[in-house]
Amino acid sequence: MKDIREDIAWAKINQDVLKSLENPRKLYWVILFVAIAMVGVAVGCEIYQYNTGMGVSNKNNSHVWGLYIATFIFWIGMSHSGTLLSAILHLMHADWRKPIYRFAEAMTTFSLMTAGLFVAVHLGRVWQIYYALPYPNERGLWPNFQSPLLWDAMAIFTYLSSSILFLYVGMIPDLAICRDRMHGGWRKKLYTLLSLGWEGTDRQWRNFRVTYLTIACFLIPLAVSVHSIVASDFAMSQQPGWHVTSFPPYFVAGALYSGCAAIITLFIILRYVFRFEEYMTLPILKKIVRLTFAISMVWTYLNAVEFASVWYSHDQASKDVLIQKAVGTYAPFWWAMIICGSIVPLTLAFKRFQTNIPVLFAVSLLLNLGMWLERWMIVAPTFSHGIYPWTWDHDQWPSVVQWGMVFGSFGWFTLLFMLFCKIFPSVSMYEVKEMVYHRSQATKKLEATGKMATAGKGAH
Amino acid sequence: MIDSGFDRRDFLKVMGWGGAAVALSGCGNTSIEDGQETIVSYVEAPDYVIPSIAVYYNSTCAQCDAGCSINGRVREGRVLKLEGNPASAINRGKMCGLGQAGVQHHYNPDRLREPLLRTGNSGETITWEKAYALIAEKLTGVSGEEIAFLSGGVSGHLKALLGNYLDSFGCKNHFVYEALAPAVVRAANKKAYGVEMPRYNINKAKVVLSFGADFLGAWISPVHFSQQYAQFRRGVDGQRGVLIQVESKMTLTGANADRWIPIRPGTEGILALGIINALGTATGDIAAAVKGYDTARVSKETGVPPGQIDKIAAMLKLRSPSLVLAGGAAEGYAHGSQNAAAINLLNQVLGNVGKTVEAAAAVPFPQMAPATGNTAALKSLNDGLAAGKYKVLFSYATNPVFTAPGAIKFRDNMAKAGFKVAFAHYLDETALQADLVLPLDSALEDWGTQVPEYMADGAQINIQQPLMEKLHANTRGMGDILLALIKQRRADDYKKFADYYAYLRTAVLQNKGAFGGGSADDDTFWDETLSKGIIKLAGTKAALSGKAGVAGLKLPAPAEEDGQYPLQLIPSVNISLRDGRNSNQPWLQESPDPLTTIVWDSWMEIHPKKAAELGIVEGDIVEVTSRTGSIKTQAYLFPGIHPDAISIPLGQGHEALGRYAKGCGVNPFQILDAVFDKETGELAMHETRVKVSKTGQRVTVVKDEGPAGAKQIREKIAGQVSTDKVDLSKEV
Amino acid sequence: MSVSNLLENWSQFRHTHPVDDKPHDPYKWAMSIDLDACVGCNACSVACYAENNLPVVGKEKYAHGMAMHWMRIEHYWDEKLGEEGGSEFPDQGAQFLPMMCQQCEAAPCETVCPVGATNHTADGLNSQIYNRCVGSRYCQANCPFKVRYFNWYDYPTTDNVWPAEMNQQLNPDVTVRGKGVMEKCTFCVQRLNAAKVTAKSEGRIVHEGEVQTACQQACPTSAISFGNLIDPESRVHKQWRAQQVELDKDKQSKDEKEGGTNLRGYRILEDMRPYPSVMYLERVRESAI
Repeated sequence: MKDIREDIAWAKINQDVLKSLENPRKLYWVILFVAIAMVGVAVGCEIYQYNTGMGVSNKNNSHVWGLYIATFIFWIGMSHSGTLLSAILHLMHADWRKPIYRFAEAMTTFSLMTAGLFVAVHLGRVWQIYYALPYPNERGLWPNFQSPLLWDAMAIFTYLSSSILFLYVGMIPDLAICRDRMHGGWRKKLYTLLSLGWEGTDRQWRNFRVTYLTIACFLIPLAVSVHSIVASDFAMSQQPGWHVTSFPPYFVAGALYSGCAAIITLFIILRYVFRFEEYMTLPILKKIVRLTFAISMVWTYLNAVEFASVWYSHDQASKDVLIQKAVGTYAPFWWAMIICGSIVPLTLAFKRFQTNIPVLFAVSLLLNLGMWLERWMIVAPTFSHGIYPWTWDHDQWPSVVQWGMVFGSFGWFTLLFMLFCKIFPSVSMYEVKEMVYHRSQATKKLEATGKMATAGKGAH
Repeated sequence: MIDSGFDRRDFLKVMGWGGAAVALSGCGNTSIEDGQETIVSYVEAPDYVIPSIAVYYNSTCAQCDAGCSINGRVREGRVLKLEGNPASAINRGKMCGLGQAGVQHHYNPDRLREPLLRTGNSGETITWEKAYALIAEKLTGVSGEEIAFLSGGVSGHLKALLGNYLDSFGCKNHFVYEALAPAVVRAANKKAYGVEMPRYNINKAKVVLSFGADFLGAWISPVHFSQQYAQFRRGVDGQRGVLIQVESKMTLTGANADRWIPIRPGTEGILALGIINALGTATGDIAAAVKGYDTARVSKETGVPPGQIDKIAAMLKLRSPSLVLAGGAAEGYAHGSQNAAAINLLNQVLGNVGKTVEAAAAVPFPQMAPATGNTAALKSLNDGLAAGKYKVLFSYATNPVFTAPGAIKFRDNMAKAGFKVAFAHYLDETALQADLVLPLDSALEDWGTQVPEYMADGAQINIQQPLMEKLHANTRGMGDILLALIKQRRADDYKKFADYYAYLRTAVLQNKGAFGGGSADDDTFWDETLSKGIIKLAGTKAALSGKAGVAGLKLPAPAEEDGQYPLQLIPSVNISLRDGRNSNQPWLQESPDPLTTIVWDSWMEIHPKKAAELGIVEGDIVEVTSRTGSIKTQAYLFPGIHPDAISIPLGQGHEALGRYAKGCGVNPFQILDAVFDKETGELAMHETRVKVSKTGQRVTVVKDEGPAGAKQIREKIAGQVSTDKVDLSKEV
Repeated sequence: MSVSNLLENWSQFRHTHPVDDKPHDPYKWAMSIDLDACVGCNACSVACYAENNLPVVGKEKYAHGMAMHWMRIEHYWDEKLGEEGGSEFPDQGAQFLPMMCQQCEAAPCETVCPVGATNHTADGLNSQIYNRCVGSRYCQANCPFKVRYFNWYDYPTTDNVWPAEMNQQLNPDVTVRGKGVMEKCTFCVQRLNAAKVTAKSEGRIVHEGEVQTACQQACPTSAISFGNLIDPESRVHKQWRAQQVELDKDKQSKDEKEGGTNLRGYRILEDMRPYPSVMYLERVRESAI
C-alpha cells in the first residue's frame, strides 16, 4: 500500500486540512476544560509550595530531588520527537515524514515549554531564578559555567528558541494558504500578520528552502546536545547509579524513544479527530512504528550496557544501587519500566500489530509510561541508597503536591497542543502537496521506464 | 573573651555588674517584655555596651547538679550562648549539650510569668504581695511539725537561708529528694571510705572497671569525668587506659568501653566477688568471704564467660592502679547496697584506695554543703502526707508528681496536704497540683552560690550571677523569695538586706578572709569574685577512713525467673533527658539519643534475640506491664542489652512542663514497683519486673540512623584499630 | 561584568585540587577528630545548634528526614554484630563519628551549583552564600557525605521553632535562613572572621588557640582539634604531620607502604578525591581484654 494516495487534488488537501481549523465541536471544549482544570491543579500545588516551602513535596535531606527533575527530563525527552522527524528524517530524504512532522514539531515546542516550568517549580527559591542568567549586576557575578544545570538552562533556551523558529518558519507557506482562504475575523488578521507577506514566488521558495535546511542542520546537533547535557546533570556527578559515561547517548536514545511513542499517540488521535486518514496513512504509521521498535531496541541495548558496565566494574556502591533498583523500595516501578520499555515494544515487531490502531495506542502510552518511570528510577534509587550508608532512606515517596504538578503538566501540554491544533494547520499542506507530486512523478517514471524506483525516495 | 581596650577597672565593672547594671540601663528597670517587641539599640548606652561586641559573664550552670562553671556570651543585653569557664577545675572550659540548652531553659516560651493561685485545673494571677500574705496566713497557727519543705539538691547560701527559714518555725521537715541520685553508692562509700563522695581519679588509672557507672553520660559530674577520660585514654606512662564496663544495658560509657560485658541483672556484686577470688591476692576474712565465688560458679550466676572473668582479673593485676566504680546499674536492686559494698571491696583489694580513690576537698562551711537526698526521703514525706500530717507543703527544684515511683501514689497523697506552694520555673506536674505557684527567675537571671557535691581539684564555691536583665517582670529569684518569707518571721534580723543580692554580698564579704580575699577592699574583692565566677578554696581534706570490710556482706542468689513478669525493666538515664527536668528544651528533644538515635519520643530497647522470640519488630507499639501499671511505647531492637531485660528511658512522658515536653513519650517512673534497697531505703530502680505484649499497632521509629542500621556496609567511615596494630607513641 | 575579566581569571575561579603544600595563604582551616576520645555525647551537636541558629524542626519533620543538624553524630556497631562469626552483643562498644561538612578542597558541591552560591574561600573553606542560593539542591545531590541541609520550610515563621523570647537567643552574627536555601557547617566562619578582624587590627595573623569552633569549644574530651593547617605551631598541623596525612593526596603514601600503616589518621571517602579538610583518628580498642 502506498504511503499516500497519489491522485489527491491540491484543493482537497487544502480543504481537508483547513477543515481542522473550523470551530470545534463540543467534545473539544470539554477536553480543553479538563486540561485547564489539570493545569489548575498544578497551579494550586505550586502556589501552596511557593508559600509554604519545598517541604510540601515530601522530599528530604537524603532525597533532595524528586518527580520535578524526573518529569523535567521526561518532557525534554518528548521534545526530541519533532526534531527527529523534522530535521533528521528531512536530511535523510524520508519524505513520508511530511504529513506528520508539523504536529511533531509542535509537540517539541510544547514539551520544551512544559519542561521549562519544571525547572522553575523544582527550585527552592523560584523568585530568584534569574540568578541563572548572566544579567548585568554590580557585583561582577556570573552564573557558574561549570554547572551542568546551567548548561541545561542555556541548552534548553537555545533549543526552545530554535524549535519555535523552525516550527514557525516551516509554517509560513501554510499560513499564507490560511490567510488566503480565511474570510475575515481575527484569524485572517493573525494569519496575515504571521505569514509575513508570503506569495510563493520562486525567490521566496528558494530562500525558504535554504533557511529550512539551515535550521534543520542546526537543530540536529542541538537536540543531541540538549539531552546529552541533561544527561550530564547525572553523569557529571559522582553518585553511584549516575556516574556512567553511557548516560548521554542513553538519554538521547530514550528521548527519541519517548518522542516516537508520543508521535504514535498523537498520530492516532489527530487522524481520528480530524479525519486525516488520507494523509496520516497506515503505511506511514507503520514506518513510525518500525522506527520506534528500532529505537526501543537501541534503548534496551544501552540499558543493558549500563547494567553490564556497573556489573563488571569495581564500584560496589553502584552495584548496590543497581541491586536496590531491582529488589528495593522502588522495585515494582523499576520492573514496570523494564517491561514497558523493553518487553512491550516487542509487540511492534509483529506485522499484525503494526497497523492495529487500538493496540498501538495502548502500546504507545505504555512506552511513554516506561520512559517516565525510567527517569524517576534514575533519580530516586541513587538518593535512597547512596554512597554513605548513614543517609540511606528507603521509604521516600513523592507527596500529592509532586503528583499534582506532574499531572498538571500533562494538562498544560494538552492545553497548548489543543490550542495549536485549532489555530494552526496540524498537517503541513505544502509539504503534502510536494510529497504527492513527487510520488506521482516517480510512479509515472516507473511506469514509463518499467524499472522499480527505490520506495519512498524522491526529490524532497 | 573579647576585650575592647577599656581599662582594668572598667573591665571588672563589666564583668561584675551583671543584671543589676543592665537593669539600670534599660528603659526604667523594666523587662524587655514591656513596650517594645523589637530590640533596639540604646539611645544612651552604658559605656561598656558596644553594639556587636559581646560581653562575657561567668556564672554556674544549673541544668544538672554537677556545678560546671559557665561563661555567658551577652550581646546588646541578652545572653546568646553559654560556654564553659576555663577557670573551673570541674569543667575546665568545656560544656555538655545539656549545659548548652541552659539558654532554652531561660528563654522558654512556657515559663511562668506571674504568681498563680490555682483551684482545680485553672489558676488566676495574683500579685506577689497577695501571695506572700496568703502564705503568711496559711502558716499562722501552724506548728513546725506540720510544715514540710520538699526540695531537690540545694547548696550554698540558699541552703543556709532555707535552713534559717525553717528554723524560724522550728521545722525539721526539710525533705531533699533527688529522683536520680547515687544514694546507695553514697552510703556504701561512707561505709567503705568514710566519705560519701570521694574523688575518682580516672585520669590516674590504667584500667577502669565500671559496674554500670555512666560517668561519660549522666553520672555525677560527666563533663569532669569526660576530661579525665580523655587523659585516661592518652595514657598514664604512655599506656592507653582500658575501660571495661559491666552492666545489663549499655550506657553511653558502655558504648565507649574496650570491653562491654552484659551481665545478668542484679549479679554485679557476685561478679565483683568473683574477680576478687580470681585475683587471688586477698587475705584474711576477705579471702574467706570470696572463697565460694569461684569462676565457674560466678560465671554460671552472672552469665559472664569464665575466660572473661580471668582476663579481667589478669588485667587488673597487671595494670595498676586501676579504678572500680559502682553505678546506677549496680545499686538499683533491693540488695544494691550489697552490690556496691562488694564493688568497693574490689577497690580495696586492688589497692586503689589512696591512689585512684582519694579524699575530696570539702568546703569548710557545712551549712553550705550540698544537701543530698533520695527516694527514701520522699517516701518518708509521702507517708507523712498520707497520714494527713502536713498542713503546709513547699516544693522547690523537684518534680515528684512526675518522678516518684507510681507505686507510692505521691500525687494522691500530696492532695492531702492543706496548702501547697510550689516554687517553679514552669507549670510542671507538681506545680499543677499546688495551690499557689510562684514563678522563679531562671538560672541565668538569678544570684546565688552553689557548692557541687563532686569536688574536682581542691574545693570550690560556684558563683551564680545574672547574665542579663530579667526576661519577665514578675518572676523572682528563689533567694529573694526566701528572704521575703523569712522577713515575715525574723524581720529584725533580715530587714537590713534589701534583696538577696545584698544578703549574698554581705555573707560572702563576711568570709572574705576564708575565701582568699585577704586584704583587698570589699568592692574589689566582690567584683573579682563575680568576675571569676568561682571561689577557690584549699578546703579541708578528710583522709579516707572506714574499711570496706566484709562484715554484713551477703549477696543474694540471682533472682528466680518470674513466670508472669519475665523481663526486668531497666529505666535508663540518658545524657539529655535524665529525670525529665529539661525535657522542655527543644534542642535536647531534637538531639538524638547517642545509642539509639531516637528523638522526640520514648522507646523500649529489647535484644534482637528476645524480640525474635516474642515476634516483635522495630516500631511495634508494645505494652509494658508491671505490677504497678502499664505504659505503651515503640519497640527498638538494641543489641546492647541483656536478653532478659528491656529498657525505657526516663524523662519523657510529661503531661505538663510545656509544649516541647508534653505528650512526648511515656513515663516509666509511673510503673516502677515499690521495691527499696534494704539498707538505705532508696528506690531499687531496676527491680521492677514486667511483661511485654504487642498491641498490634506499628509506627515508624523517628530516629537519625537510616535503614543501614548503624553499619558501615562497604565504606570505611568510622575506623577502628586494636592496640597491637597501632603506634600511639608518635602522636601529638 | 567584564567578559575579559571572566576569561582572564578563569583558572582561579575554580580550585581543582591543591597542587602544592601551601594551597592557601596564610590560612587553611582544617580539623582533626580523635574517634578514640569522642564519646558520642552530642555536646558538639547541641553547641552547633546554639551558635549557628539551627532550627529545631520537631518530630514530624524529623521523621520526614528534614533534620538540620550540621554536625551529626553517627554511631556504628561492629560489622559482624548479630551475624555469622560475630557476637550477639556489641562487645567492644560502639563507634561514634561526628560528621559535618568536610570543607573539601575539590568539593563536588562547588562545581555543580548553577548560580555559584557555593565556592571555595581563600582560607580553605567551602562557602555557602545564602542570598545567592536559588535552591536547586544539586550541591547536596552531589555531596558524597550528604552533609548539606536544605530549608524545606520557612522555619523563622514556623510555629514553635523560634517563638517569642526564644528568638532572643539567636546569634546576630549568623544569618537566620528562610525557606529554599541550602546550609551546612561553616567551621563557624563568623568566629573566624571576628578573629581575623581582631588580628588584622593588630597587624598579625590569627594565632593558634585564638579561635575555636563551637563544637571544639564544647567537646568535653577535646576530641576536636581545629586550626590553621599552614601554621606549624598549630595542633592540627602537628597532628596531620604526625599521622602523615597530606591534604592534596587521594592516596596517602603511608598506606601504599608494604604492610600498611600503624598510624591511625585517615580521611573518609578519600578515594573519591574530594580532598576533605577533616582528618579522623581511628578509634582504638584494647586487644588484651
